Amino acid sequence: MPSYKLSYFNARGVAEVSRLIFAVAGEKFEDVRYERDQWPAHKDEMPLGQMPVLEVDGVKLPQSAAIARFLAKQFHLAGKDNFEQAQVDAVVDTIYDILKAWMPSRLEQDEAKKEALSKKFFGEELPKHLQNLETLGKLYSNGGHFFVGKQLTWADLLFYNFGQLLTEFEADCLNNFSWLQKNRAEVEKQPKIAEYLKNRPRTQF
Amino acid sequence: MPSYKLTYFNGRGLGEVSRLIFAAAGQKFEDVRYERDQFPAHKAEMPLGQMPVLEVDGVKLPQSSAIARYLAKEFHLAGKDNFDQAKVDAVVDTVGDSFKGFIPTIFEQDPVKKEEIKKKFFTDDLPKHLQNLETLGKLYGNGGHFFVGNQLTWADLYFYNFAQTYIEAEADCLNNFPWLKQNRAEVEKQPKIAEYLKQRPKTQF
Repeated sequence: MPSYKLSYFNARGVAEVSRLIFAVAGEKFEDVRYERDQWPAHKDEMPLGQMPVLEVDGVKLPQSAAIARFLAKQFHLAGKDNFEQAQVDAVVDTIYDILKAWMPSRLEQDEAKKEALSKKFFGEELPKHLQNLETLGKLYSNGGHFFVGKQLTWADLLFYNFGQLLTEFEADCLNNFSWLQKNRAEVEKQPKIAEYLKNRPRTQF
Repeated sequence: MPSYKLTYFNGRGLGEVSRLIFAAAGQKFEDVRYERDQFPAHKAEMPLGQMPVLEVDGVKLPQSSAIARYLAKEFHLAGKDNFDQAKVDAVVDTVGDSFKGFIPTIFEQDPVKKEEIKKKFFTDDLPKHLQNLETLGKLYGNGGHFFVGNQLTWADLYFYNFAQTYIEAEADCLNNFPWLKQNRAEVEKQPKIAEYLKQRPKTQF
């Protein structure tokens, strides 16, 4: 059994999907969390000067999506064969498209511009991406509530995580997307996830 | 043997890495290419209204990276085990990070602004990502010229493809990165790839 160490900020962010994967799999790992002022002292330890980094038996792996996909495959949460794994990857990429579209409004410093960009994101862009996610869910789910193949995969965990962040900013943003709401409800019901959600640190992001 | 159909624009762009994978694997596929004015008539056929789309025995898969990773895994170009595949994914994501900064240089219409953005990208932004890529190549390359594990993977093809775009915009951009130059030279030398590069349609992008 390899030893796993995940290093990230003390936050959910782009590492939380990996913590959710460990939780669902019931796998132990070292959950290293740095506060923002601790981070500069450790930057040089990271291959690309960024986090998250996963260390597996001492070998370091950067890039949050590569980390999550590796862990999902290790613990059978990635899809049951190559083509299902591709369907999971397509859902995952569609979720990351949402984050890319959101970035400009998150990073904008000017308050008035930020407000305008945010309005455009939540009003126009996000609904299109959510519609795309529902399209893929209906295409790949075999009639079930999970995105692919009637079983929980990391695509569901990733959407669960970013769905939470989106609703923290805009509580109603999933109201017109009942399939997605049901998908998140199914994820929350999984016993190991329910337990993890109850016990995890509360952080702003 | 499944039947494969790849649908994209008549250009390299986000579809080309998949074409390179088919070529390296010596695998036949239907290479559907639409000119820009042909695409609107076919948009509704695509699950997310976008291309590329891969059709495998009639089932459609969107998202260029999901497609490429699926094909690479089918044809043993993805890494020899789960951890090597994760290293390959990390390299691919790092190439993807570099391209995010390049995109504004494509779409900016004002020629003065375009030149400014381009200069900043090639002077400040791209070198950091290229340094990161050399770091990963030296970390995972086992002393060889390929990014991961002394064998050609889609990480090498992915970098080969996007670096071509950068070099066409700025011929000297890899001059300070001999490891990366050597990596691209190794890719070009592979007989099936050399043959493909000779025969493929010449397109602007």
